[in-house]
Amino acid sequence: MIGALLAIWQADTAFPSGGFAFSNGLEGLAAAEGAFSADDLEAVIEGALRRRWASADRLAMVRAFDRAMDLDAVARVDHEVETTIVSEPFRAGSRRNGASLLASHVRIGTPGAGEWQALVRAGRAFGHLAVTQGVVWRGAGLDLTGAVLASGYMTISNYTTAAVRLGVVGAVAAQTIVRHLLPVLAELAASPLPDRIESFSPRLDVAAARHARADLRLFSN
Amino acid sequence: MLELSSRKVSGASQASAARIGVGGPVGSGKTALIERLIPVLRGRGVDLAVVTNDLVTKEDAERLRRSGLIDPARVLAVEAGACPHTVIREDPTLNMAAGDDLEASFPGLELIIFESGGDNLASTFSLDLVDWWMFVIDVAGGDDIPRKKGPGVLKSDLLVVNKTDLAPYVGVDLEGMLTEANAVRAGKPVLATNARRGEGVEAVADMICRAVLFHA
Repeated sequence: MIGALLAIWQADTAFPSGGFAFSNGLEGLAAAEGAFSADDLEAVIEGALRRRWASADRLAMVRAFDRAMDLDAVARVDHEVETTIVSEPFRAGSRRNGASLLASHVRIGTPGAGEWQALVRAGRAFGHLAVTQGVVWRGAGLDLTGAVLASGYMTISNYTTAAVRLGVVGAVAAQTIVRHLLPVLAELAASPLPDRIESFSPRLDVAAARHARADLRLFSN
Repeated sequence: MLELSSRKVSGASQASAARIGVGGPVGSGKTALIERLIPVLRGRGVDLAVVTNDLVTKEDAERLRRSGLIDPARVLAVEAGACPHTVIREDPTLNMAAGDDLEASFPGLELIIFESGGDNLASTFSLDLVDWWMFVIDVAGGDDIPRKKGPGVLKSDLLVVNKTDLAPYVGVDLEGMLTEANAVRAGKPVLATNARRGEGVEAVADMICRAVLFHA
């Protein structure tokens, strides 16, 4: 039971992790494509789940979780993440979001968080979000199933929260999308892990690249 | 191999620089006040840096970087994700991480100033993020602001009433506004400033030094 509660604790948007400041390409997409329906939003999030989270973020988190007792091995996963994220705004966002999550866990005293932060500060790791999740969630006592579900749920909720703030969709309508996507997340979470970290989301990559050059923006990426 | 330990690393034991917040409504003069505070504090030997939370641009950060008042590397911008109060209160971790970065980059740093994006009277700083914070309002916002008793007005460690020079032009009784501000704050300090001309800025610096730097 505690495993489920720990996963809820970490997936709760009330847990300070910095995620609210990242739209992960959505602000750029909404700006570029004008009218953006709830169906469009759902399709974007499902695409991000299937072709970014399931094949890249999930794998990186699981590998870091499995190796959390050997932070040098975790750092190698982290370097792989750095080299496999094509888009610079996504890469920078992942590092900053990871640093924010780490800032909370270091102060809470989560086992392993201080050591992982020291490695990042020493320049021996980048501290990407998915990798940092693996380290601190293992230290915090989550089980692997809960950690995978928390990671996937946060991917959905970060997008829908950003969409509400961008005025793409209302707060209640956003929860309809979340409900639709929960079975997708359950299916993907139960699917076999791929052999290597890979993602394919060119539409979001291009949108994030355009967004990075925008004068006016609410979100970091 | 690095092993996991349960060693608790608290914010208090890890941080060495004092962290203060500057909040307040849009256009109340937060950036102008910081621009005036920087040379005053540096003149007193305070080693400082600034983190800004612009809402939609990096204008405040760029303004400080280009001011010539401070090494541009000592000014970091943190995006507020459309929520200026979230980034200083409900989820201050991006700001905390920025503060940690500044401390790592500038050993000996004594003071980090976190400038909130312009917000409303309900904005407050999390004490996870700062040790002390001030709330800046201005006379042009209306002399009824203290009477509205927003959390920013009531809970801040220092209330600054800025743009005092504008009072006669906007029909504000400055003395009455300050009297009401003092009354609603129940003994917590209130200072009047005209940041554009530097008036009252030394008194704000005195208060920062006494509150968090323990300078005379």
